[in-house]
Amino acid sequence: MSDIAAEPEIGLAFRETGAPVADGAFRVARRGRVERTRRVGFTFDGKPYGALGGDTVASALLANGVHLMGRSFKYHRPRGILSAGSEDANALIGTSRGPGRFEPNTRATMQEVFDGLAAESQNRWPSLGFDIGAINDAIPHLFAAGFYYKTFKWPRPFWHHVYEPVIRAAAGLGRAPHEADPDSYTARYHHTDILVVGAGPAGLAAALAAGRSGARVLLVDEHSEMGGSLLSMPEIGIDARGAWSFLAETLAELASLPNVRLLPRTTAFGYFHQNMVALAERLTDHLASPPDGAPRERLWRVRAREVVLAQGAIEKPLVFDGNDRPAVMLASAARTMLNRYGVLVGEHPAVVTSHDSAYATAFELADAGATIPVIIDARPTVEPVLLDEAARRGIAVATGHTVLGTEGRMRVSGLKIAPVTGGTIGAARAIHCDAVLMSGGWTPSLHLFSHTKASLVWDEDLKTFLPGQSPEACVTAGGGAGHWGIAAALEDGARAGATAAAKVGHLGRVHDFSVEGERVETGATIAALPSRGTRGKAFVDHQNDVTAKDVRLAVREGMRSIEHVKRYTTTGMATDQGKTSNINALLIAAEALGKSPPEVGLTTFRPPYTPTTFGTFANHHAGATFEVTRKTPINGWAEAQGAVFEPVALWRRARYFPRGNETMREAVARECRATREAVGLFDASTLGKIEVVGPDAAEFLNRLYTNPFLKLAPGRCRYGVLLGEDGFIRDDGVIARIAEDRFHVTTTTGGAPRVLTMMEDYLQTEWPDLKVWLTSTTEEWATVALNGPLARAVLAPLVKGLDIAADAFPHMSVAECKVAGVPVRLCRMSFTGELGFEVNVPARHALAVWEAIWTAGQPHGITPYGTETMHVLRAEKGFIIVGQETDGTVTPDDAGLAWAIGKTKRDFVGMRSLARPDLVATGRKQLVGLLTRDPATVLEEGAQLVEEDARPPVPMIGHVTSSYWSETLGRSIALALVKDGRARIGETLYLPMPDTTIAAEVVAPVFYDPDGARFHL
Amino acid sequence: MTTHADGPVALSMADTGARFSLRIGVTPDDLAAAETAFGAPIFATIGARGREAGRESLCLGPDEWVLTAPEADRAPIATAFAGIGAAHPHSLVDISDREIAIDLEGEAVTALLAQGIAIDLDAFPSGHGTRTVYDGITVVLRRDAAHAFRLEAWRSFVPHVWHRLTEGNKELALGI
Repeated sequence: MSDIAAEPEIGLAFRETGAPVADGAFRVARRGRVERTRRVGFTFDGKPYGALGGDTVASALLANGVHLMGRSFKYHRPRGILSAGSEDANALIGTSRGPGRFEPNTRATMQEVFDGLAAESQNRWPSLGFDIGAINDAIPHLFAAGFYYKTFKWPRPFWHHVYEPVIRAAAGLGRAPHEADPDSYTARYHHTDILVVGAGPAGLAAALAAGRSGARVLLVDEHSEMGGSLLSMPEIGIDARGAWSFLAETLAELASLPNVRLLPRTTAFGYFHQNMVALAERLTDHLASPPDGAPRERLWRVRAREVVLAQGAIEKPLVFDGNDRPAVMLASAARTMLNRYGVLVGEHPAVVTSHDSAYATAFELADAGATIPVIIDARPTVEPVLLDEAARRGIAVATGHTVLGTEGRMRVSGLKIAPVTGGTIGAARAIHCDAVLMSGGWTPSLHLFSHTKASLVWDEDLKTFLPGQSPEACVTAGGGAGHWGIAAALEDGARAGATAAAKVGHLGRVHDFSVEGERVETGATIAALPSRGTRGKAFVDHQNDVTAKDVRLAVREGMRSIEHVKRYTTTGMATDQGKTSNINALLIAAEALGKSPPEVGLTTFRPPYTPTTFGTFANHHAGATFEVTRKTPINGWAEAQGAVFEPVALWRRARYFPRGNETMREAVARECRATREAVGLFDASTLGKIEVVGPDAAEFLNRLYTNPFLKLAPGRCRYGVLLGEDGFIRDDGVIARIAEDRFHVTTTTGGAPRVLTMMEDYLQTEWPDLKVWLTSTTEEWATVALNGPLARAVLAPLVKGLDIAADAFPHMSVAECKVAGVPVRLCRMSFTGELGFEVNVPARHALAVWEAIWTAGQPHGITPYGTETMHVLRAEKGFIIVGQETDGTVTPDDAGLAWAIGKTKRDFVGMRSLARPDLVATGRKQLVGLLTRDPATVLEEGAQLVEEDARPPVPMIGHVTSSYWSETLGRSIALALVKDGRARIGETLYLPMPDTTIAAEVVAPVFYDPDGARFHL
Repeated sequence: MTTHADGPVALSMADTGARFSLRIGVTPDDLAAAETAFGAPIFATIGARGREAGRESLCLGPDEWVLTAPEADRAPIATAFAGIGAAHPHSLVDISDREIAIDLEGEAVTALLAQGIAIDLDAFPSGHGTRTVYDGITVVLRRDAAHAFRLEAWRSFVPHVWHRLTEGNKELALGI
């Protein structure tokens, strides 16, 4: 902010009486850090308001005298702000930054105002002022703790269909947006020696000590401006300067250090293993017109050698009836509104406290022009100096008093207070006020520390949990460690920063700060203020609408641990994770149980620290970069030919090439005919390829695959089946022996990484003695498959250095030669049943070779085909596809591949399992073919098979694995796994479908050219 | 060559040159034989690069190197290694076409790479190389100078990597 260095004229401000300026009746002159000369306009529930640069929605509304900002979760009670920071539980609003850019549950205290911002209240209907849902407030027994566990149990189906939907509609926060998020999000990794979370006095001192040592430092703070509590305490003197001068100079020094990086508007929302801290940086939400293409938020994944958690402490509300009305807020919120934003939260604010710190707020508001009707202090005695200061300003102090209730509906208008003597509540009297500032002391913010699975230690004096031991390299400094006050926080922060620097090998020096204008503050901890009534609501958890009564009820109904109380009452749940409520809930539960707080325990703080957008989590994984899409070198050609694509693993493969208005079935029928009758061209580049090289290469493959490989001659290919140790099929492919010590192994498209990993695993752990090495060559070679009776006629003119005549280069041969001038590995093999060649081309030249073959094939009617035709053609031949005919429980014999097991082999992976009793027993599912009685009926893949006379419960004896229209056969065909299938050939089985039952004959799984004559053309 | 300059980092993509994966035992004899065959130093320290006359070795693992050389050297290198195979069993596999290289240069280059690479680039000295991961994709990363890196990825992943880098470069240009 531009006026960051502006030093307030403290003396002058103290003399002034707060003449309001034009932007809002409650803006105070000469207070705050807002930019007086930058006027900004925004709307709230459609009504326009003026604001100043640097305002939040909350401060701008308060400057305009608007306290009512939302409705509560269950009871729809009117609410204003509770705190001025990210922990605020009340003022959740909807914000809109343009079309599609609506966000629910934005905290009004954190959203910076910009020109054109549209904000709206939520959880109200028809309007914020008149809300039908507020009827819930009048029938509170309906929403008492655990009510729906008891009330809405029966009849059972009503829970899902009636009770739960109605309850969810009535209770809740903002509505989720419906449009797709048009924003982009980004992410970055970052390494630092020292990460400092929180740029208040402790964090600044830590960053300064660490930064001056030369260590790499990252300082982050969730607010738009760094400074933390210093932003709200300009009257403190540090090192003979005002706090704001000190802040400006410190930030300037940090910014000048090349080893220090400052990230404002950045929330450390999660602390993960090995000092990985996740940060969400808000980049554009505060800008009226962000630069084109600017990402909205950035996820930082920070790995820090040391972490200093300087997140400070959060003020604790006091629990009394009606402590939730608009304009009842934490004292620190009023102080921040005054000093940071120049806003007076009320002209007659009353103060309710059990801690000294509220007095400073009262005095500052009085000095800024407010009239404080009374300071109600729950403690029987208060330090004389505070009483003197109050008297000097004419403020009455009611010590030993309680608050019995508040008045006012849309804004607090009064208090009912009474003295408490020896536990007895005396006569009540009414106080008029237009705001109530409360302070129950301070709770160290230990959320991130808790994410590390650190221990927390109960401090009996402070009546709070303090950080204990953490398994991570982190330390908590300042208010988070129970060091109250600026002087203590600076000292502790400097020590933490210097220590962290030393741990990473830098010499950190501890600077001694001298602090003026601060007194040591103390307080008493009170679970809930003494109360007389039974009808009011004293809120413990403002966000979840949990009252002191609810917590006590939970204990009465048998909840013994705070974890039970949390689940029964929902206290401490949801977006604020109990930041302002956990300790009060614990104290009330402990009191009701007659136990000490640590015996009752503290619930777990879960990440994220504050609500974090899904966009930040997903960051780049959206739109075009949602996931990698692998494309082959032929992809562009296929696109130009109008191919329809399908995803296969991470790959994008051409599925079919429609011409004109062809349907898929028509296109596939044409592609099948062309391949069976002439020649088809197919991009098989995605097949996995592994180069297995070394003197023991054959031995290695022989041990892995079921088939024998020792005697496979160089220049020959063999189909191989790979099993797991369990004997089930994992992968298959054709393996070509290029040389004595070199094999070209192919795998399925999806299985490539898995097979290489399995091979490496065996090589490294079982057979490290073998001299053989594995290299993935999937992407070195593009594979052009040419199939059909005319394949040789197309290819032969392009081949140099090899005779590919039927006898010279028989089926299952491999050779190195040139095709279209490019050195290739040429295989003669076929997955279609036709004469086939696979041309393995170095990828750079793949498209050139593909186009040369395409051109050469024109006179022969060459036709490109896709994966769908490939599937049909191979199914006609009964060739399995791993993952389609197999599902991890299929043995080679089940799949009809017993012939692929080397009969004389002593061992291979999975061999012993194949002899297991359950794998040799009868009744296993075996691969068969199915021909439907009606040849036009194409079965559904996955359909179950039953016998004709089956009676319920009908045993399902098999299922369809592949099913297609076969253009070649002029009818439908299917493959299926059927119990004892081979013995059932000739039988008719049945497939019950939702509307009919289909009859099909069991046949052998090879439908076309069963003798394989066409391979050898 | 494809280039991109819509941001502070100059990006260019090269699909040329010879590249081999070398696997060989780490006895001094084997390494010496491999060095002689390759004609450039081959170090046994992971991350170390040995360079001479346009040829370069980079040690990626305990028995794994990637060798790069000008296109014209491809056949002579393969022949030289074939000559030592009997005495020094090894695997030399031509992977020239498997990967595509992207060169990145500019002061913001580490900020750009950090959008997808998790390693500490401040602790990655010039002259070193490593196999690492960019946005979930295996890459080989080399640092040639304070502000110059080369990144190699398998061919089919390159469009994704290139898209991310160019988009990231535009983001850096915005200065936010």
